[in-house]
Order: sequence, then C-alpha cells, then structure tokens
Amino acid sequence: MNEHYRPAPGTPMADLDTPCLVIDMDALDNNMDVIANCYEGRSVKLRGHSKNHKTPAIAHRQIRRGGTVGGVCAAKVAEAEVMVHGGIPSVFITSEIVQPMKIERLCALADQAEILVACDQPTNAQNLSKAASARGVELGVVIELETGLGRCGVREIEAGVALARMIDSLPGLRFRGVMSHQTIGSMPDREDRSVEAARTIRGVIDLKDAIEREGLTMDIVSTGETWSYDVAADIPGVTEIQGGSYLMMETHYGYMTEFHYAAKILTTIISTPRPGIAIGDAGVRAVSSLIGMPTVFDRPGVTVQSMDSDHSVFKIESGASLKVGDQVLLIPAQQDAMVSRWDRFVGLRNGQVEVVWDIQARGCHN
Amino acid sequence: MERPIFQPVGTPVEELDTPALVVDLDVMDRNIQTFQSYFKDSAVKARPVVTSHLCPQIARRQLDAGGTNGGIAVTTLGEAEVFANSGFADILLANLVVTPSKIRRLCALAKQTSIGVAVDSPDNAEQLSQGATAAGVELRVLVEIEAGMGRCGIAPGPDAVALAQMVNGLPGLKFEGIMGSVPGPKSDDDPAQHETKTRANLQVVLEMKEAMEKAGLPVVVVSVGGTHCYAQAVQMLGITEVRAGRYPLMDHRLKSFLPELAPAARVLASVISHPTKGMAVLDAGHKVMAPDQGRPVLDGVAGGTATRFSAEHGVVELEGEAQSQLNPGDKAWLVPYELGACVNQFDYIRAVKDGKLEGFWPISARGRLA
Repeated sequence: MNEHYRPAPGTPMADLDTPCLVIDMDALDNNMDVIANCYEGRSVKLRGHSKNHKTPAIAHRQIRRGGTVGGVCAAKVAEAEVMVHGGIPSVFITSEIVQPMKIERLCALADQAEILVACDQPTNAQNLSKAASARGVELGVVIELETGLGRCGVREIEAGVALARMIDSLPGLRFRGVMSHQTIGSMPDREDRSVEAARTIRGVIDLKDAIEREGLTMDIVSTGETWSYDVAADIPGVTEIQGGSYLMMETHYGYMTEFHYAAKILTTIISTPRPGIAIGDAGVRAVSSLIGMPTVFDRPGVTVQSMDSDHSVFKIESGASLKVGDQVLLIPAQQDAMVSRWDRFVGLRNGQVEVVWDIQARGCHN
Repeated sequence: MERPIFQPVGTPVEELDTPALVVDLDVMDRNIQTFQSYFKDSAVKARPVVTSHLCPQIARRQLDAGGTNGGIAVTTLGEAEVFANSGFADILLANLVVTPSKIRRLCALAKQTSIGVAVDSPDNAEQLSQGATAAGVELRVLVEIEAGMGRCGIAPGPDAVALAQMVNGLPGLKFEGIMGSVPGPKSDDDPAQHETKTRANLQVVLEMKEAMEKAGLPVVVVSVGGTHCYAQAVQMLGITEVRAGRYPLMDHRLKSFLPELAPAARVLASVISHPTKGMAVLDAGHKVMAPDQGRPVLDGVAGGTATRFSAEHGVVELEGEAQSQLNPGDKAWLVPYELGACVNQFDYIRAVKDGKLEGFWPISARGRLA
C-alpha cells in the first residue's frame, strides 16, 4: 500500500512524483453535472457504478450533485462493504454472490443499508433466502438477463419468470426487479445509439412485462451504462441506469464529447535514448493496456508505441519534442482497469493539488 | 486495499474466500532451490528481482537459499524504500531516477542502505552526483546499456565508455560497472531462437565491459536480467550477476522456457454462474488477473479453457465431460500469464503448505509505482 505519498493541497503538478493517478477536477465536476442535468425532473435516475472509482467520497459527490437514485452499484461484496461503511445508504451488487461466506457478509451488510443483489439461478436464490431468513434481514433480489455479453444472466424469458416467482415466494428475499448490461463499439450518432439501446434492452423490458403479467410487482428495471445513459433513459419502463465509465472517462467512449477526460496517469520522461523515442516511467502496472494503449493527452506528435510492466515507449514525430524530466499525461483506453491499480486519486484544479482521495475499495476483489 | 477474510491457519485451501492469490510454499522453495543452485558453483550470482513478488518474506527466503550475491533488485524507488525499511542491505534500483524530488528520496535512502542505480545519460549522472554530494552519500552507479529491449539504456559504443568515464570521475558516485536487460520470450516463442537471440544480446553487454576495461575503467559488476537469460548468462565469462524475479513463483509466460520450475503462485477463483452447458463464469476478471500481456490459464480441468476476462468476470469454455463440472460455488485455479502484474493486484499472498493455509503474507511493496 502506497502510504508514503500524499501531496499537500496546493502542490503544483510539476512537483508530483510519478507515475501518479490524477483527476482533472473540472472534468470530473463537468461529468457529474452532465448526469445531474440529464435526469433532472425525470423518474429515471443514475445508480452510479462504484467499481469505476471505488471511492466513497466520489460516490457522495455525485449523489450530492444530483441525478442519482441516492445509492450506488458495486461489483463485489467487499466493494459494497466499503461503500456502506462510507455512508452510502443503498448498494446494488450487480454480480451473482454464491459462496456461503460471501452470502453471510451480504446479509450482515443488509443490517446496515439497503442491499440489492443480482441473481440468475434458483439454487442461488434458495441459498440467499436461507441465509437472510436465518439472520432476520431482507435482501432485495434483481434478476439478471443476458443480453449479449455472453456472461451471467438467465437466457430465456420463461426461466426469468420462473425465477421471479420463486424469489417472490422465498422468505428473507424481496423481489425487486430485473437488470441487464450490454456493450457496443464506437457509435457517435445519438440516433444510432438509440436504436441499438432499444434493440439490446428490449429483452429486459420483455422480461419485466412477462413477470408483471404473472401478477408480480417490481420497482427496479436497471440497465444501461455510459454509452446509453441518455438513450436508455427514454425507453419506457427503465428506472435506473448503471453508468460508471462516464465519470473518469476513457478513449473507448471518446466519441461522447459531453464527458471530459478526468482520470489520467501523470508520467515522467526518464530517458531519450534515440532520436524520435522517449521512455516514460509508467507501464502496464500503472495504466493497464487491456483493450488498447493509452493515448497521450494534449501533446500533438507524441504517441505511445509500446508498454512494458513499468516503462512506456513514446514515439515523437518531427516537430514535437520531449526531454528527460518532462511530464506527460496519459488517458486510458479503459479507466476502471487503470483505477483499480492505484491507492489514491490526486485531484488537480488549475494545475495544483486540490484534494487527495483514498481509493478505499482498491483491491476489494472478494 | 484488499479486504480478505483472514481465515485461520490450517484452513484447507479450497475453503479460502475467493479470489485469492495462493502460493504453495513447497513448490516455491523447490523453485528457489533449483534455480539458485545454478549459481552456487559459478562466478555468476543471482540477484533476486523482488518486483515480481513485492513480498519481503519471499525475498528473505531467496537470500537464505544460497547462490545469490546477497543483494536484491527493484524497479521503482517506492519498492526500494519498502525493502530498505524491511532491512535489506544491498538494493539495486535497476532503473533511472531523474527528477529532483526522486533524486532526493534516493539519496535519503542511501543513508539507510547501500543502494545502486542505473544511469544512461551524462545529464542524469551530473544530477545524481549533485544530489549525492549535497546529501553527503555515495550512490553505486551502473551504466545501463541498451541490450535489445528498445527501452532505456545508452547505445553500445564510445558514448557509453565516455559516460562510464564521466561517472567514474564524479563526486558522490561510485562507478561499479554496467547493466543490461535482455528481452524475454513470449510463451509461444521458439526456445532455440530465444537462446540465440539472448546470447547475442548478452554479448553486446560483454563487449562494452571489455571496451570500458580497455579504457582503464574498473568494471566490477556486469549485471544482466532477467530469469529467462540465466542459462546463457552462467556460461558467459565476465557476467557477474543475473537479475531474476520470476523463478520463485513462475507464470505461464516462462513455463516452456523453464520446464523444471512449477507454478507456485495461482489464483483461486469461484464459479458464480454456469449459465449454459458450455460456459462457466468465474469471480476473477482482469482486475484480479491483470491479463494485459497474455491470457491466464485454467489449471486442472480437462476440457476447460479460460477464454475471456472482462473487468470483473472470467469466462471459461467447457467441452465434453467438463460441461458437468465448474458449477456455481465450485473452485477453479488460474495460472497468471504475467506474474508481476497479477501479484500487484493483491495485498496479501495466501501462503499454503500441504493444502492448508500457513498465513497471510503482506505484499508490502504493492502499488509502489512512484
């Protein structure tokens, strides 16, 4: 754990030791405001995904700025614990929780906050019910439908309806609704995204309708993500959007220009061994290159050529220059893989440190 | 920070909460013995690169096992600080330190422990000299030679000799010799080709040693890395140390190049869904496995292959009889492709012996990237 490094407010960016995970606070506030404005006066709201920032202070900041249901999503039980301990009143764990030990932790949390959890199988529903009723708590259960990611989730409407009926009848569980998660490639045109959202989210609305026809009621239809934050909200029946990437932003969503790049890696050039090449002190351990190389921010003519564990190789076009000691900012191709490698965010405004936030749920894989 | 359930010593490994980074101590100790024995009767010694595991307890076992020169190597200044605080007395920071703030930290560290650092440019040598002189310390310096990585390091040739001469003459610096890093293979590279390439790259470093000695410089240290080049390095006269990190815990990337070593570090995951016959979903995705440089491998399930890692989920495809295995709640083992990246995602190693938990070992230097 990186306990030694906590730059004081007012420290200029130029004095930060690198590599360092920084947040452009203006960009962060802008991204929060886009969400607040988007859902103002509407019944559909954001339930921001905390797996993207893992930081209660940031979750509270978005909730205060508006546009949310007043709670968050989390991917793991340990993440949910950090959010609940950080004062978030409602947490939806969007993964299936099946291990007995984890179900116990989930039930213990349900004593402290509203806890919702995804489910896609009858046995799991029974196990959740047993643990919750033994402890005398109530778990809200949301049925996950697979809509194209090829991962978890029930595959057929009938299976979803049967599971809903079962959850509704089990003690300790409250059937709350349905969820789905889907992804797309780059799709700048809003109309295209709207069509794509209607197509992929159709399934979860069909599941909702089929369950309601059985006489069951639900208050949550949770779907959508950054790419569909606006268009999924237009689909009748959707109650919550699960966006997360919009907050820190990444080049994967670079076409959504209303969101600004907030999280970046500050890196320093440590060697210029050959003309046209410079070596930076941030590698894969700092940035993650899983879905692509990071992009150099605001330095025309400089690109990332390759990355090793702890070094990056920059290519410098003629006309551009980099010298040893220069700082370079990198924007990630995907932000949450990057954020999950760091212990704290250093928030910068006007080139100076404004705030340092511990990423309290970093490493909360369990 | 990781929030594991600290289960009691003696807990059977399959009952550990997941995902868990598990190290089998017997396998690790065998790997350490096997690998370090190559250096016992040799003029070449191993210098363990602790960046691969970031864990002082493992580093201590390496130094206790013989075949080393008593020192360790790290990649970042933050790692050097952690290991100095853990009492390690000879640390080579096999990287460049260029900013004034970090040079101050480096020199502060040199008051606690004997520290070596790489240099590849005259300006940096001057700055290190000024920093060391101001702090009243002496830094051991190795001139880094570019030896095939296409990364840091001065190009072999007269400029490198001139840099060595300059370092040798600067106050606060002790010129010790040279270092080079040679590229490692990918898991499917051809071993014979890798050997030829490695020899050629190491030869470049040795030629620079000779050129510096001809110029009258005392080249005491010729340091090369990493694990994958040991077999060639121990045969080449003049090399004094091999910086090696991956061998105690191993990973899939080096498996076919060091078949005598076994994977000691594996990730225990749980199946959270088995939504179709041919697919199981694990609770270990890329935030756990860090598969940036290659895909982890599912261990011990014939007919099961780990095929996809999204942020939070790992997807296993199942064929034949495997389709009836890996049901929700079942455990699965994953071998990381790139050890260092995976270790860096955890705060604790679950140390295991004979299938039972021995303890939680802190990965003390995790995340010390700066």
